[in-house]
Amino acid sequence: MAKYPRIREQHIAVFGESGSGKTVLASSFYGPSQEKSSSNDLWDLVADDTGLGTRLYKNYLGMRDHATAPGPTRFAGTTYYFSVKLKGGGKAKAQKRPFDILRLAWHDYPGEWFEESPSSEGEANRRVDTFRSLLRSDVALLLVDGQKLLDYKGEEERYLKSLLTNFRQGLLQLKEDLLAGEGRLDEFPRIWIIALSKADLFPDWDVRSFRDLVIWNAAEHIEHLRATLQEFVVTPDAFSLGEDFMLLSSAKFELSSAGPEPVEIDVTKRVGIDLILPVASLLPLERRVQWQEKMKIPMTVLDSMADGAETMAAVLIGGKGFGFEKVVAKLPKVGPLASKAAIPALIAAVKMAESQLRQINEQARETHDYLTATLTQFKLDLDQGETDGLLIRGK
Amino acid sequence: MRPDEDLPERLIWTTRGRSWGFRFLLKGGLSDPLLVYERSFAGLGDEPTTCHRAAGKVALRFPDPLGRRDASGRVIPHEFVVFGDLADEIASVEDGLKRVWPLVAEAYAGVWDTEGSPSFADLRLTATDSPSLDALRSASSDGGDDEQVDPS
Repeated sequence: MAKYPRIREQHIAVFGESGSGKTVLASSFYGPSQEKSSSNDLWDLVADDTGLGTRLYKNYLGMRDHATAPGPTRFAGTTYYFSVKLKGGGKAKAQKRPFDILRLAWHDYPGEWFEESPSSEGEANRRVDTFRSLLRSDVALLLVDGQKLLDYKGEEERYLKSLLTNFRQGLLQLKEDLLAGEGRLDEFPRIWIIALSKADLFPDWDVRSFRDLVIWNAAEHIEHLRATLQEFVVTPDAFSLGEDFMLLSSAKFELSSAGPEPVEIDVTKRVGIDLILPVASLLPLERRVQWQEKMKIPMTVLDSMADGAETMAAVLIGGKGFGFEKVVAKLPKVGPLASKAAIPALIAAVKMAESQLRQINEQARETHDYLTATLTQFKLDLDQGETDGLLIRGK
Repeated sequence: MRPDEDLPERLIWTTRGRSWGFRFLLKGGLSDPLLVYERSFAGLGDEPTTCHRAAGKVALRFPDPLGRRDASGRVIPHEFVVFGDLADEIASVEDGLKRVWPLVAEAYAGVWDTEGSPSFADLRLTATDSPSLDALRSASSDGGDDEQVDPS
């Protein structure tokens, strides 16, 4: 008998220097979902740990009502588990769907852990443990601090070089502990998105402006970081850094003319935050198909990367009357999920035309198939994110 | 005001600088102060000021009295766990500002704006710059590329 609720878990690793906005981002991701005005017609977002959820919501309220940003994170990493709980849709429908909850594990940590050596042994151990847990993510966001880009205006290369080089050095220092003598890893974030945090500071930019600035000023440093990261993984060709970019802003901060103190934080003006769930949920599936078309990927890697991709694909293309019945029928019901038989279904799910996607989404909404509606909506959101100039996905 | 030579044994002090991150500047004579620090502040929330006594120790937090900020514009907090006789003198944040802050204020002024994280020696907390043996041992076991403790 199946255990309920059935949960699919995705991890997201958000890397960034101290003060780059990691905790604000998590707060701005969760906080609005607790407001009545933002209630979603497909799912509810819940923090699995009430205490941690309260902490994030308090951070959010501090920004919204008191123009106060959260204090710095210190000495400990925190993993926030958010559950996207699908609405009911009736018992029969709920029983048919392959999972009921999409859980997002979001890892937050003190930014200085990648910049400096810890000042105590306990902290050093925690740092290694935290980064081990980060390695379970398929997707990593590497934050470029918008405020620092402004501070280094005209000398952006200096900042970007320091960011990428320090991060690379930090990884190298941890390499031995992370690999733990077991050789290269199967499971490791393989999709690294370079994300501009505090994008509200650049109201005239779209994601292409950001990408162009980064590539122009730091292509060589990205290359070095990519080479270092690839040394951590088996099948290093199945890895991307410098191909995906996004803009993120947790809120619009109005600063005082007299100093850095915010006088108003408008949390309604968020940028890119709504793309985080779709990115974490569906980008690994898309990228896996791209890589599988280009190269042979060992089963051990496929099992750890975008695991459950077949389930996702089946949900995306499972609607009746859209011509996918044959590929869905070929999906293995049992056995290794990474079976070759699943590939056509994965490809069909990833390459679906937008018009088809919209039809499936509409049908799913009408029939209260909340899972299909949610995942197709995520995919539509990714496409819209590109159209709106918030996201660039590697091709 | 010059602090006493045994100050490193009587205080755990954590803070950050403008561009260096949170670290233990004083370890209360412990090789690893993290657990004592966390137990002392457990359940106290993240309010900018706090003063709480438990088991003969006082957990004390206040924002930088001179309003100094980190590179992201956040006011820098100072957190202390106060031991021994000094703890007996602290019943409020105001007491902490009067009794504890002057012991470290000068040291902090010398290091808060440095590029890299400071070593114990950089703090120049005692007349001889000679911390306790335990403090030296703990500092020298930290490892890492920013380690600068010089016991000489």
